[in-house]
Parts: sequence; structure tokens; C-alpha cells
Amino acid sequence: MNERASGRLAIIIVGGGASGVLLAAHLLRNREADIRITLIEKRQVFGQGVAYSTELADHVLNVSALGMSAYADDPEHFLHWLIERGLATADNPRVYVPRSVYGEYLAEVLGDLRGSEGEQGRLHLLSEECVSVATTTAGVEVKLANGASLVGHIAVLAVGHEEQPSIEKTVAIRPGSPGDTPIDPDDPVLILGTGLSMVDTFLSLTAGGHRGKITALSRRGLVPSIHQAGRPIRLDAADVPLGTDLSYFVRWFRQLVRDTERNGGDWRDVVDGIRPFNQRIWQSWPHGAKRRFIEHTRAWWDIHRHRMPPELHERVIRAIAEDELELVAGKLLEAKRVGDRFEAKIRRRHVPAIETISAARIYDCTGITTDLAAGTNPIVRSLIDRGLARPDPLRIGLDVTPQCAMLGSDGQPSERLFAIGPLTRGAFFEIEAIPDIRVQCAGLARQLVSRAGIAA
Amino acid sequence: MLTKKGKYGLKALVHLSELPQGQLAFVNDIAVANNIPKKFLDAILGELRNAGFVQSRKGKDGGYRLARLPADIKIGHVVRVLDGPLAPIPCASRTQYQPCEDCDEATCQVRHMMLEVRQAIAEVLDNRSLAQMRDAANDDVLAGIKYQI
Repeated sequence: MNERASGRLAIIIVGGGASGVLLAAHLLRNREADIRITLIEKRQVFGQGVAYSTELADHVLNVSALGMSAYADDPEHFLHWLIERGLATADNPRVYVPRSVYGEYLAEVLGDLRGSEGEQGRLHLLSEECVSVATTTAGVEVKLANGASLVGHIAVLAVGHEEQPSIEKTVAIRPGSPGDTPIDPDDPVLILGTGLSMVDTFLSLTAGGHRGKITALSRRGLVPSIHQAGRPIRLDAADVPLGTDLSYFVRWFRQLVRDTERNGGDWRDVVDGIRPFNQRIWQSWPHGAKRRFIEHTRAWWDIHRHRMPPELHERVIRAIAEDELELVAGKLLEAKRVGDRFEAKIRRRHVPAIETISAARIYDCTGITTDLAAGTNPIVRSLIDRGLARPDPLRIGLDVTPQCAMLGSDGQPSERLFAIGPLTRGAFFEIEAIPDIRVQCAGLARQLVSRAGIAA
Repeated sequence: MLTKKGKYGLKALVHLSELPQGQLAFVNDIAVANNIPKKFLDAILGELRNAGFVQSRKGKDGGYRLARLPADIKIGHVVRVLDGPLAPIPCASRTQYQPCEDCDEATCQVRHMMLEVRQAIAEVLDNRSLAQMRDAANDDVLAGIKYQI
């Protein structure tokens, strides 16, 4: 490494959503580190990304304020921010605030850093779209849509969630994307997916006065469970079976739920109690266990792990009872545009007949891209095309080391290219929410800062 | 505490890790070579198979082999399957908790420290692979031979 000799360590973070802002904040916490961070975000605002840009008050965080601090070692940072603004009280720290509030918090964390760092020049924000990332002999080069390019020593990809529907669902759109224009409130709508994103979309539609029938389709048609205050069980790593086949682990897990229930607890206490070990469990599994989990167990796991606050759960259940929302377990066979409508051919689970659903809009709320290489993110695609990155073996994210270094097509970890956040789900699995992303960011920040010199 | 079951299981895995990749071993051969009662070894290998560490084939040419590379099998993971949660004394476990008859666990200082010890056990055993365990033993033998020469 000749980074120190050439002066400041220049780190380019691509993506100024929650993950990118958290990484910048953790990097800058070390006041002496001689670094220069450039944070690139195509939206005009930083800290929002796909997750926190929603304006709807019903779109609340599904982690309480105590889990959402930007810094894991300062867990009340966000709570204090809320209390200062009268949005929470000290005696009720387990408050679930709207996601837009969290976006404001992150923007302010960044704003404060920019204020204090501005003169030292350690942080630069750039509202531009990035189109490609490549390595050069000396470092990295990041090309922007406006034709300019940036050079640095290290690039970190923090592009989070896919914004475009996957290629096989081209007639569908992601909610909140530019194509999500108003529709006739009486028109039928089809939503692909039945998880929390579907619930978000359902809430957005009804908040906008939508009255038409909403059909939500997924392989099993399972809807997220309800949140309940509980007492997560205490576990140590020494208690958790690691490295086993999936069926062995599932047997252990079910037994633990039974034991916990016998002692007056609830399955939620087990699901929440095991959460600190989810990454370690995932990383310990052989490939076969991971593949089987994604194929067979994940849908079941997700509805228990990612739950809805009671008010929202009640509304969803009521909408189902009143036939405003129909959950369908089945498969999408084909979807095409017919005039100003869409026609979707579906087959219900365990039913041989094919059914056609007509809808004015099809939303893609399926979450994880089934094949990352077939995804629509141009930066990810450019990296894969050049052999600088490769999809993980399950093709749900980029292949990275536990230290977040991207693996090239030859399997060698890069010293210059890193990825954080949901893009690394193949290696970390439990890396969708702030409590996990902030820990990942703290680790990568420590690693990168150790490669930088001390500011004069 | 590592029970006899845990120890025998690890010895059997080391035995399998010394064979060429994919080659099956007879239970009887493993038992004789490692001085393990055969019936007990049958039960142990059955549990290791259920957890996915070894594979078996039935019949005259049947036997056991590793389901993964020795470098991909961690010692701590095997011990949890055979002996349950890693714990120096039975009360120092959270899922298989067995209270002692003669003390109050809430105020027991011994238990408190043993909960810390189990983290250290996990730290060591989860970072050692079967390959390392096999090679460490061989290295020691080689070192001993050199020393004697």
C-alpha cells in the first residue's frame, strides 16, 4: 500500500442512503484519521435511500428507537434526538416513529458532520448519479452520469435495495419509483409479494383513497405476524448449534420454542433472542443448508422475524376480511400489457387451473432479486462484467469476505473494493436493518481508518 | 465438559479426515483403531450424520465419510451436537440449564464465572477446524520424533 505516501486516504462511498451515511459517520468519528470521504447520492437528499424516503406517517420503523441509533456503542443517540424534538419521552424509549423521521435524523447526523468537518475537508457530498466503478493501477475510478469521473484509493458500494423491478417482471414497477403515477381509485391492483413491502404499498394505496380490489400474490401467501411486547430469551453463542444441516437446526429451534412456551414465553422471545447470532449462524452453515433455507424456510422465517405493529396488523386483517385485500398463494406465470391494463396469468397453489387477473397496476414488492447478475443496478452489473465482483453462490447479493471486501471472478478479495448493507446479504443474511448495518459499518470503518495516516 | 461421547466423536472425525477425500471407512475399523466401543460409536456417528457432518452408505461396502472438507468442520460445532451447549458445569447453560441441588444459582459466584468461561471455550473451539486438530496432533508427533533424534 502506498496510500500513506500519496497523502490522504481517499474513500469514495457510492450511495448516500442509510448505509452510506452510517459508514461516513463511523469513518469520521476518528478525529485524527487522515481521510477524505466523497459520498455520492443520486437523490437530492442524503440519508433516505429507498427505505427512509417515504412521507407516509403509517410507514413506521419496525425497530424501536433504542435499536436505531447511528452508533451501536451510543444506543440512546437517536432517542435523545427524538426527545429534544418532543417526539419521544425518556420513560417510553420503545417508540416506533415514522420512517421519514429517521431519514431526517440521518440527514442531520450528516449535516452536523459536514459542519464540523467542512473546513478540514474530510467529507464531501456529491448529488450525482454514479454509473460505474472500476479499479486502476493506483486505486479506483468512479464514473458519473454527467461524464465526470472521480479517483480515489478505495470505493465502497452502499447501493442497498434494487429500485427497478427485476428483468422478468418488467411490466411491474417498484412502489415510489418514477413510474408510480396516480391511478383510478376504483381500479384493481396486483401486488407481487406479501411481506412488509406489500403492507407498505397497501397502506400507501389506502391512504391515497384507493377503493379498488388489491390482490397480493406470493408463493405461500403468508402475511407478516404481529408485534407483541415480550422478553427475548437470553442466549450465548455456546448455546446455539452452528455449522449443522438445516433440518437439525430447525428441530433445535422448534424445540426451543416449545420449551420457551412451556415456561410461559412466546415464539417471539426465541426469534428475538436468537437475533444477535443470526449472522454467525448463517455464516456457519454449509452451502446446502443456506440454499435450502432460502428455498423452503425463508418465507416462514420472514413472517416471524419481520413483524407488524398491532395497529397495522389489525388494518391488514380487517381489509382481508372485508375483501379489499386478497392474499393469493400461487405463482405468476406471465404478465403482459393489454391496452391500458395489465393481464397477469397466475396459478394458485395446489390448483392446476390457470387464472387471469386484470389490473391497472402491478407492483413489485418481492424484495430480494432472484438473480443479482440479472438485476438492474448498472454499477453492480459493470463490476460483475469486468470480473471485479461476482454474485455470491446463492446469487442474492455480492460475494464479499466477512470484512466486506468484494471477491473478484477469480475468488480473490479486493483491497480496494468493498460493499456494505443489503447488497452483502449473501454473506451476512441479517443485514437489512440499522442494528446490523451500523455494526458492519463500524467494523469496516475501523479497518479502513487503520490504513490511513494521522492528519497533521 | 467434554464427555466421552464428545471425545470419541472427535477421534472418529479425525480418523475420517486422514482418509483420502470421499473414501468410506467401516465403523469397526474406526472403533478398533481408536479404542472406542463399537455400539457407542454407531450411535455417535448416527448423530453426526443427522447434523450433517458425516455421510453414510449402507451395505457390504458401506461405511462413513466426512460430508465436508476437514477445513470446513469446526470443532465447537461438533461438540455442541454431541454434548449439547458448551458448558464447564451443567448449570452454566441457558438452554439446557440444570440447577445444582446444593446452591442458589442467582447468587452463585462460581456459576457466574463459568458463564464467562463458556464464552472462552466457544471462542477457542469455534475457531479450530478438524483439519487444524488433525494436523496439530501430527505436528506434535513429528516434533517429538525430531526431538528424540
